[in-house]
Amino acid sequence: MKPAPFAYHAPTALDEALALLAAEPEARLLAGGQSLVPRMRLRVEKPAVVIDLNRVEGLDGIAVDGGAVTVGALVRQQALVDDEAVFRAHPLIRLAGSHAGFHTTRHRGTVGGSIAFAAPWAELSATAITLGATITARSSAGERAIAAGDFFLGPHQTALAAGEMVTQVRFPAADAGTGFGFHEASPRWRDYATAAASASITVRDGAVADARLTLLRAAPAPLQVDAASILAGRAVDEAAIADVVAALDGIDPPDDVEASGRHRARLARTLTERALADAWANAKEAAA
Amino acid sequence: MSATENGLVTVRVTVNGRAYERAVEPRKALSDFIREDLGLTGTHVACEHGFCGVCNILLDGQTVRSCLMFAVQVDGHAIETVESLASPDGTLSPLQQAFNDHAGLQCGYCTPGMLMTAKEHLDRHPDGGTDEEIREAIAGVLCRCTGYQQIIESIRAAATTGKGA
Ligand code: FES
Ligand code: FES
Repeated sequence: MKPAPFAYHAPTALDEALALLAAEPEARLLAGGQSLVPRMRLRVEKPAVVIDLNRVEGLDGIAVDGGAVTVGALVRQQALVDDEAVFRAHPLIRLAGSHAGFHTTRHRGTVGGSIAFAAPWAELSATAITLGATITARSSAGERAIAAGDFFLGPHQTALAAGEMVTQVRFPAADAGTGFGFHEASPRWRDYATAAASASITVRDGAVADARLTLLRAAPAPLQVDAASILAGRAVDEAAIADVVAALDGIDPPDDVEASGRHRARLARTLTERALADAWANAKEAAA
Repeated sequence: MSATENGLVTVRVTVNGRAYERAVEPRKALSDFIREDLGLTGTHVACEHGFCGVCNILLDGQTVRSCLMFAVQVDGHAIETVESLASPDGTLSPLQQAFNDHAGLQCGYCTPGMLMTAKEHLDRHPDGGTDEEIREAIAGVLCRCTGYQQIIESIRAAATTGKGA
């Protein structure tokens, strides 16, 4: 189908974009368009006003500083995945990010767009949570920082208020001795995730000092599992992994046409095992 | 890009090395613009929702799904479509010839998107890269006919002739 008619704005300055958004809170922000445009074509969305961010200056920078990675909202997903300095600081970004769509969609799809769209299968959402990222939300009234762990409220629901947009995502430096793991299951290679697990483990003196585990599609929003309290002070052996998996007993993943909740729960357990095993192996290597 | 009085927006874009200027409605898809306004019907559309990759073209040297962009967005940019591959006298490019020789197409519907995606891959990996890299490169383009194996063989053959895309 063809999208419904809309008024089109293509501001070149962020302030101009925010002023337009303040005047038209129902307007849709067009970033990479890889999710919004299909929705407009299906006429699930019929925005009267579209504010195209692609000509806004200053939102497409990547900065890596002492292991911290700051990414402008308009950075293309492929540029983030390809960046060698980003990879050295946070290998998880490439590991998980290269599952997000295809080269061709990542050439357009943006980091801020993926975060703000908050699709339940979005690998970048899980990555941001696992890495303890901070999301900058800005409106014409000012700016605030939102922890990624508090940002995703449900499918396509976020902590953004009307008139706010994501301008930046900041991933803090990883602690020494940190390793990552990411595993995803999808019906076809590179398709939307039926389920995914992303993990980070920090090793000190041969034992777990910190651990984070984020599951996609185990709940309506990315699910944060308190792996740290189970794993702290231990080695991640089979028994330790089994204890984390046991903590998933109560999850109730959504059913949909792609998979039953029961199937997703089984996937969540298996992907958790794999992600934790990888994170542990990588952490030990990083600590060595 | 400048707005005209009747709600149309003027777009200036270079396609296959040639400059075009057209007035379009903002909601006009880039794929429709290429096919209807420029008359370049080599670019195919199938799903029009970003799923199939048949509409892939090169925008400033990178593949994009042309059904997921609006024509107004390419003002000031450069595009290459499948028409850029063959010589003006109709001689196929080495990549096209390889698709012909190795049965890389049957009905041909996906072929424009497949060729532009393969061209991008070969531009980055002149030696063809690994089979896994070829599979990854074309993973976003659906073909309902070939079963993909012949497409992979075609891309591999184009790389082996050393002539690239
Ligand atoms: S027609 Fe564009 S992706 Fe299918
Ligand atoms: S050749 Fe028919 S769809 Fe690919």
